[in-house]
Amino acid sequence: MTPRLNRLALAVMTLYAGAVDADDSTPPMFSLSSFGTVGIVHSSEKNADFTSSIYKPNGAGHTRNWDADVDSLVGAQLTANFTSQLSAVVQVISEQRYDDSYRPGLEWANFKYQFTPDFSVRVGRTVQPAFLFSDSRKVGYTLPWVRPPGEVYSMVPVTSTDGMDLSYRLHFGDLTNTVQGNYGQSDPRLPHNTGKSLAKDSWGVSNLTEYGALTTRVTYQQTRLTVESFNPLFDSFRAFGEEGNAIADRYDSKGKRFEFVGVGAIYDPGKWFAMGEWGYFDSHSIIGTLSAWYLSAGYRMDAFTPYVTYARSRTLSETSSAGLTTSTLPPDLAGAATGLNGALNTILASSSSQQTLSVGVRWDFTKNMDAKLQYDHTRLGSSASGPLINLQPGFEPGGTFSLLSLAVDFVF
Amino acid sequence: MRFLKRTGCAMAGVVLYVGSTLVMADVVVVVATASPVKALASNQVADIFLGKANRFPSGAQAVPVDQPEGSVTRDEFYAKFTGKSAAQLKAHWSKIIFTGRGQPPETVSNSAEVKKHIAENPNTIGYIEAREVDGSVRVVPADPQ
Repeated sequence: MTPRLNRLALAVMTLYAGAVDADDSTPPMFSLSSFGTVGIVHSSEKNADFTSSIYKPNGAGHTRNWDADVDSLVGAQLTANFTSQLSAVVQVISEQRYDDSYRPGLEWANFKYQFTPDFSVRVGRTVQPAFLFSDSRKVGYTLPWVRPPGEVYSMVPVTSTDGMDLSYRLHFGDLTNTVQGNYGQSDPRLPHNTGKSLAKDSWGVSNLTEYGALTTRVTYQQTRLTVESFNPLFDSFRAFGEEGNAIADRYDSKGKRFEFVGVGAIYDPGKWFAMGEWGYFDSHSIIGTLSAWYLSAGYRMDAFTPYVTYARSRTLSETSSAGLTTSTLPPDLAGAATGLNGALNTILASSSSQQTLSVGVRWDFTKNMDAKLQYDHTRLGSSASGPLINLQPGFEPGGTFSLLSLAVDFVF
Repeated sequence: MRFLKRTGCAMAGVVLYVGSTLVMADVVVVVATASPVKALASNQVADIFLGKANRFPSGAQAVPVDQPEGSVTRDEFYAKFTGKSAAQLKAHWSKIIFTGRGQPPETVSNSAEVKKHIAENPNTIGYIEAREVDGSVRVVPADPQ
């Protein structure tokens, strides 16, 4: 853990080298902002790793008793205002990556042209919209919790996309409505040399409505999704003729249409808040059809904000398959077919179905910084492994596990 | 007994409410003397200072100017018009800054600077202590929440 934190500290210093203090009275040409989280997590499940993202190779539990990789990250952002209409944003984040390094990655890099005060277009690498907190899901300081509820936020794990988006804001009296359209693609790499997840021709429409203390959001997104790690399995199925082809057509993920619908609302009058989000996706592939939701509420008492969250996800598609008919195959082929059927069913069965109860407290102990303490208790659906990876021989799917997380967030 | 308790609570509530109104009543919203803006609802003031609107209801451009972080005037203004504490305000702007969707209002060092800014740019809207109001600015009636 120590060398990891050192690497993180080094990244912070590198990002700060060359920082410009832009505190002029006129709108500055350049402004530098930074954010980050230093957190540690302990998991009660010793035979698997808990991670906060499918893009991380290991985490808390089996690999490390107390893990700093789940939540820790540091980011820096440079905003350049060239004219009152044209601006650019570059955001770099250093966090645990697929290869277990903290090599900084480019999270955003886009130009924005503000045609009118209410209509703008961004071109380049921008946010992948999906959720209420998509815009700032990596900025812990903007979140009430240590991390967004995984049941919902893991449905669209990719956070940025290369392409463009448009935003149009309308005012109806006290109501502000923002419509956003996006188009792009992404190809993040997955851990353990399993290739990439390719999202092509991604597009979507989001509608954000703000009325006093109430914020609501509705999103539709779709993409052509290919998860490269599934390809060899279905290529093998295709060697089994018509029946194999039918199974591969049903479950492979080569450019299949992945559709997502998200609905969320926050009510935050100041003294307390309540929020909820519901999401649904249909992958038309082995990734399945899933729905998930959470409800969360908190109460602010001076610098302390205790909160409670309940989240649940449910797989709506089948979690097993008859697979290839082995009885009519010659013995050597039957053995291979049984192996393929087993692999297919293991993946289907591990589909996410779980519920989590979380309690925690946020403490705004000083300007620009908060500290959070959170306890999560997750019950996995039968035969599901949920967010757990690196499953060890002693791991039993469908059980429960608890997490204890401590985090300090900052923004500068 | 229960009735007495309830009455006591209600009275304490009224006292607290009156007390807080008295304490919070010092901050006023100001614009240029020549500004066509006559009155604003508190949520319209909030929208301008939270970056949700960059125009007055009349359609004219609105340029908010802030007092320094940690100043009593600032904290009172945001508590009164947006219901947000300094930390909540910081979180609100962090959300906007870290997606490149905007920047918080320009900050000047004190009420005198706010008045100077307003005199120089008639689109500017600011807030100062009521006792600091002079002929260079005009108070905009704004009903607090």
